[in-house]
Amino acid sequence: MADASHDLSKTKKSYAAVGIALLVFTVVTVTIGLAPIFDMGPPGPDAMDFVLGLSVAAVKASLVALIFMHLNHEKGLIYKILLFTFLFFLGLMILTIFADTDPILEQFETLKTTRGWLMDKPR
Amino acid sequence: MSAATAHEHSEAHGHDHHEHHDPFWKKYIFSTDHKVIGIQYGFTALLFLAFGFFLMMVMRWSIAYPDRAVPLLADWPWFQAWLDDEGKVTGDLYNMFGAMHGTIMVFLGIVPLAFGAFGNYVTPLQIGAPDMAFPRLNMASYWLYLLGGVLMFVSFFLPSGAAKAGWTNYSPLATTTDLHYGSLFWTGQTQWLVAMALLISSSLLGAVNFICTIINLRCKGMTWMRLPFFVWAMLVTGFLLLLAFPPLEVAAIMQLMDRLAGTSFFVPTGLNVSGMSFDAAGGGSPLLYQHLFWFLAHPEVYVLILPAIAIVAEIIPCNTRKPLWGYKTMVYAVMVLGFLAFIVWAHHMYITGMGPAVSTFFQTTTVLISVPSVILITSLLISMWGGSIRFNVPMLFATAFIPMFGIGGLTGLPLAFSLPDLHLHDTYYVIGHFHYVVAPGTIFALFAGIYHWYPKITGRMMSSRLGHLHFWPSLLFMNGIFAPMFFQGMSGFHRRAFDGGKAYEQISSQIFAEPNSFLANLAEMFHVIDADAPLRMIDLNLVTSGSAWLLAIFQVPFIVNLFISVFVGKKINRDNPWDATTLEWATPTPPPHGNFATEPVAYRGPYEYSVPGAPRDFTPQFETDPGLVAGAEHNSEPEEDLAVSHH
Amino acid sequence: MEIPYEVTPRRDTGLYNAKLGVWLFLASEVMLFGGLFSAYVFLRMGVQPGVDNPWPWGVSVHKNFVWLGAINTIVLIASSVGVVFAWVALKERNWRRYQIYMYFVVACAVIFMCIKSVEYNSKLTKHHGIKLVDNSVMEGVIKDKTDQVRFSGDKLTFSLQGAVPAVLSDFTDESFPAFKVTEGPEELVGNEIKSASEFKSWFAKGRRLAFEKLTEERKRYRGELASGKGNPTPVSVSSSVTLVSSAPFAVSGNPRKLIGHNETTMNYRDAVRVEGKLVSDDVMFEVHEVDLQLVVPTKQPESIVWSVINDKEAKKHFFDLKEKKYNELIAYYEKHGGVVPEAQLRGRYLNVQYVHVAAEGHGEEHGEAKHGEVHASEPKESAGGGESEGHHGPSRVIQVPRDQIKFMSNHGPRYGTYYAIYFTMTALHGLHVVGGALVLLFFAVFGKKLYLKNPEHLANRVEVGGLFWHFVDLIWIFLFPIMYLL
Repeated sequence: MADASHDLSKTKKSYAAVGIALLVFTVVTVTIGLAPIFDMGPPGPDAMDFVLGLSVAAVKASLVALIFMHLNHEKGLIYKILLFTFLFFLGLMILTIFADTDPILEQFETLKTTRGWLMDKPR
Repeated sequence: MSAATAHEHSEAHGHDHHEHHDPFWKKYIFSTDHKVIGIQYGFTALLFLAFGFFLMMVMRWSIAYPDRAVPLLADWPWFQAWLDDEGKVTGDLYNMFGAMHGTIMVFLGIVPLAFGAFGNYVTPLQIGAPDMAFPRLNMASYWLYLLGGVLMFVSFFLPSGAAKAGWTNYSPLATTTDLHYGSLFWTGQTQWLVAMALLISSSLLGAVNFICTIINLRCKGMTWMRLPFFVWAMLVTGFLLLLAFPPLEVAAIMQLMDRLAGTSFFVPTGLNVSGMSFDAAGGGSPLLYQHLFWFLAHPEVYVLILPAIAIVAEIIPCNTRKPLWGYKTMVYAVMVLGFLAFIVWAHHMYITGMGPAVSTFFQTTTVLISVPSVILITSLLISMWGGSIRFNVPMLFATAFIPMFGIGGLTGLPLAFSLPDLHLHDTYYVIGHFHYVVAPGTIFALFAGIYHWYPKITGRMMSSRLGHLHFWPSLLFMNGIFAPMFFQGMSGFHRRAFDGGKAYEQISSQIFAEPNSFLANLAEMFHVIDADAPLRMIDLNLVTSGSAWLLAIFQVPFIVNLFISVFVGKKINRDNPWDATTLEWATPTPPPHGNFATEPVAYRGPYEYSVPGAPRDFTPQFETDPGLVAGAEHNSEPEEDLAVSHH
Repeated sequence: MEIPYEVTPRRDTGLYNAKLGVWLFLASEVMLFGGLFSAYVFLRMGVQPGVDNPWPWGVSVHKNFVWLGAINTIVLIASSVGVVFAWVALKERNWRRYQIYMYFVVACAVIFMCIKSVEYNSKLTKHHGIKLVDNSVMEGVIKDKTDQVRFSGDKLTFSLQGAVPAVLSDFTDESFPAFKVTEGPEELVGNEIKSASEFKSWFAKGRRLAFEKLTEERKRYRGELASGKGNPTPVSVSSSVTLVSSAPFAVSGNPRKLIGHNETTMNYRDAVRVEGKLVSDDVMFEVHEVDLQLVVPTKQPESIVWSVINDKEAKKHFFDLKEKKYNELIAYYEKHGGVVPEAQLRGRYLNVQYVHVAAEGHGEEHGEAKHGEVHASEPKESAGGGESEGHHGPSRVIQVPRDQIKFMSNHGPRYGTYYAIYFTMTALHGLHVVGGALVLLFFAVFGKKLYLKNPEHLANRVEVGGLFWHFVDLIWIFLFPIMYLL
């Protein structure tokens, strides 16, 4: 693969660039969490914090996976395995929530359970 | 070139290379040879199966004769602590044996036998590999499994006894059981979790190894669609284990934290235990445990059944002398099955109060998953159509597997729908259903596999006479055990009643057969009931229990056969005694470390039986024969065969 | 025998065995951590306001540790970069540089674990919380292990069946009292026990004895039953023993092992009874914060916490601060058009305030406005800056009667579902860090032989070890925001 020294120096540069990008994104994550400028409401996390915080994390994660973990060089097989893993991971994430909030039951106000931060809207 | 010459060569080599250099312990105990590890898995698993069976026989005594002392066991020192003064089974003992019967049979018996033993022995041979991809990891899996098993076994001898909260170990019951012991770590309930963590790690390592072996170590010419169905099933099983086991590991870790560190993952706010407020912060969810548990445990059912189907799919074409019908369809079906297995888990949880939308989703997926299962079974059935079938012992077991698995599958349909499930949940109906799948189903297939591959492993045949003596009574008594459970279950017998339903007056008066009817007379003949009495539902307990003990007796021929045949069985005079087509029969017998005498090449598909124009009624994958129609065109371009087929 | 594709990749899959194996292993790791992340979401969504402990907001829990978390993130990223550079160095066949990078990576792992242990230590030993019977919560520090029940015993009663009594671990070794058996099976009466190890062997002996007696009795009973002579005398074997000590002994009962105590007895969960005299069971507590999130706002002024704290200034301070913040909230929502959501009214911002219980004689001198501003639990401002309670005059340790306590714990995994998942996930992640670092260290220290033989093989190993290491980094990338910030 990256046998030629030219290729390797290019690889090194990209690794360094990704490292710096990750550091910058870490600063962004902390700013989102702490600084008031990103906050939509008074103290405490709100929906926007979650969206921003997790998106930044997702970008960082994909940088690590693609460049550091060489996924950008791999053949299709690993992608297939990871695709299935990701699908089941999603199932694990979504269905536990889904099992707790039934769309049909939601129509009955009396049966509706009170939920925490994510579901709360100003009344 | 004949396999026999190759055989002689390699035997000479084998003697030179291995017998002199490897000491006994390295060759047979800490071996990295996949075949030795497979045999180790097999024997350990058979021991655990026998132990699990023993637990069940004690339970069945308590169900059949709740008023009588357990025979033979009452004076054993260990039983003193758990039987009551009169020598009867106590509720605690029943719970312990019930929980451990399930755990041992599933996690220490069948999975290791099906996946660990057969998978290990046969898979590398069938794909033409010299060994597994990571031989030392393979050894580590076995030893982790053994450690987990020993821990499970040792937990019986702790002051608290083994785990008692059911094989599902639901919280908060499992979290709050045995809390009155000084050391929480050394209670059966905690040790169950520790042992499970070890078993799960073992399975994960094993799964990684299998998948890696199948993907990377296929021999030259072994393209995806030339893989024997057995290998496909192992690949899917490997993925099931790989991706479904971690959530259970999470659940085990969290329950361990709940028990030892006092966390409240599964402890709801305001939990009371025996009238006292439970000292924990609360806020946890018992439902979370069930989700995580069944996220594993449903795919686990397919881990139990896929290797069984795989074994049967090898034996049927070989003994019908016909290709496997619908090979490609079966391959796709098994993949779909593997995928769907992950999204049906909540059908075990209909009575947890899930909403109609969620339960509709899971009912739909559950019914969907029966489609690939039926495709697999139907293909096997059609494979036999019009064949000239050799009914040898492995084929008998394989044939019996199909209707037995069919009964298990069909009786699952009522459980797939939430409404009937509300009635049937936790009754003997459920027990009957999954035991039909696993006991006469999977275990028959495993027996078939043992009889089928025994000559390859030892170089001798198992006795056919003893095999028949093993098969026919087993078939009869397996049904004798599980068929009555459906009727009892539908009339409401609860699976956890240690006195067999005696406590329910109403149930015990339900009638299964009128007095003097055929069944009642039959029952009277066997002294189950008195003359002119109706056969009540509760009397079926005796039928079940009696069948179970008789079944145990008729395993003796098998055990004798297994050991005696190594020495006195009929010697086979060639490496391919069944005239089979797959690559494992190309090896010398028994295969040496490193398996093949020469690097094998697969020239054609796995099931080329009775090919028109061929000189014999089987055309092995490993034989190059230019006179044949099939496979001739592949020979010219072996390079192309290495390409991954896209599907 | 040689396994193919150990070093060179297979042409159609493009992978050598180890790489495929590690990717498969990582797939299972995704499901492992996926299960935990899913538990996180499940537990957080499942919090019933007003019933369950509220889910704390990461920053409010970690305060100045947010920065330590951020530093840890940077440390892990640096180590990840280190691994890829080590791999490149191997590809360039530069052994020296490879080793330097690998040692750098291992050093990063050590720094990471050190920072982690600082965090853990602070939560486990420097922060405690007490929930009172009306669900009001005090946060602070339990002084001198007073959560234990201090008891002066002279008599011990327990059963010889079952496991060794838990009380044994509550004795310190040097303070083990000399016991004499006064009641129990006649073979044992009069025995003397002087040390913990002696106790253990004596107990094993006693258990065997009781067991043999039971077996004998049962044999007799079954024999009589079988002979059919009416009603046989029932089995009765007493396995209960009483030990009396020569002098009163001090024992501190771990509340998790007790099921109840009163002035004269202390009952353990495993049915051991200690008789004697209660010394004290009051908990000495240094209050830092009062948390009334689980108390309905109108009931807050009468909450039990105020009778426990019994400091008018502290109470006034709490409600002044709450009112001030409430007005800010109203103003904020008026400006943005809308009503204050209920979650805000019941949430941490309004209902958790710092209180300072002044030492006797200090209360009046401190003007409220003077330290109110600094101490207020205003997470947005105070999150980064370290909150040191030192320079506000001595703080009085209050006495909390045990019958008012519903639940108490350090800020360990027991303290609530958030803490449980925080500790479980970070500890599991920490185990991965340690495991990965050990493997990489092994490659760095013992890799030379393989390097000389087949450098490509070593490069493969490092690449594969690196894959695992990057995955560990990747998990932390998600753990950091969800545990520390959001």
